[in-house]
Amino acid sequence: MKVEFVAPFAEATSAVAEMMMGAKPSRGQLSAKPELFTALPVNILCGVNGDLEGLVMYSMSKETALAIAGSMMGTPSRVFDQLVASAISELGNMITGNSSSIFSSQGVVCNITPPTLVRGNSIRISTFNTPTLVIPLIFEGIGQIEVNVSLRETKIALAAA
Amino acid sequence: MAKRILITDDALFMRVTLKRILSDAGFEVVGEAANGVESVALYNDLKPDLVTMDITMPEMDGIEALKAIRAGDPNATVVMCSAMGQQNLMVEALQAGAKEFIVKPFQAEKVLEVINRHAA
Repeated sequence: MKVEFVAPFAEATSAVAEMMMGAKPSRGQLSAKPELFTALPVNILCGVNGDLEGLVMYSMSKETALAIAGSMMGTPSRVFDQLVASAISELGNMITGNSSSIFSSQGVVCNITPPTLVRGNSIRISTFNTPTLVIPLIFEGIGQIEVNVSLRETKIALAAA
Repeated sequence: MAKRILITDDALFMRVTLKRILSDAGFEVVGEAANGVESVALYNDLKPDLVTMDITMPEMDGIEALKAIRAGDPNATVVMCSAMGQQNLMVEALQAGAKEFIVKPFQAEKVLEVINRHAA
């Protein structure tokens, strides 16, 4: 897991959030998570395959998810309904899609899976042999999105490049 | 008469957003499809003036649906609207007859600019 793999996701998150929510986040400190960790209550999971494979997970509190969805829809949301779920899942999909475009422009080609939303308390995530790097993105007045990136290269040639 | 639009996207949020943008601008959203199979069926039933088409969807993806719609109606106007802004997918969609490619996230003005250009 290379630190360089995180930058496109942070860049895409900022760009997508700015357009969807009109808010530009500040970046927190990059850190690593163990192979087994406890997730935040709301998580959007997007699979990646191709030259890179693994998982990208956008994690946040329920309050942040509601604030983000409300900001995307232009109307406040108080209840975590299907529209809220769809809005934040689509945010994850757009960020991951835009990240794959950034990778593509660097010669790294990968596809993404449709997003999966996982909600609940004390969810344990295992990424097995791929460590997770996490970058928090802080949105003033909205909250924080943790971008968890757990990817590995599938081509030896790419690793050497 | 208002131009008739068929929206195709698996995300409820995107369908709601696109419908609002298009309705507010005076278009008539005649149908909403959540995957490629629904889109092809609704296209044949409704014969809309324009289709917006997401790419990554369950059942049948947007590129397959675009090809199926264009096979049945070579004059079909389909605008791709997807987060997958990769060069190869854009080229494939345009070669299969898509009129233009809107990359998500989009702004309402950009969507209307593209739709107005092709719905005429």
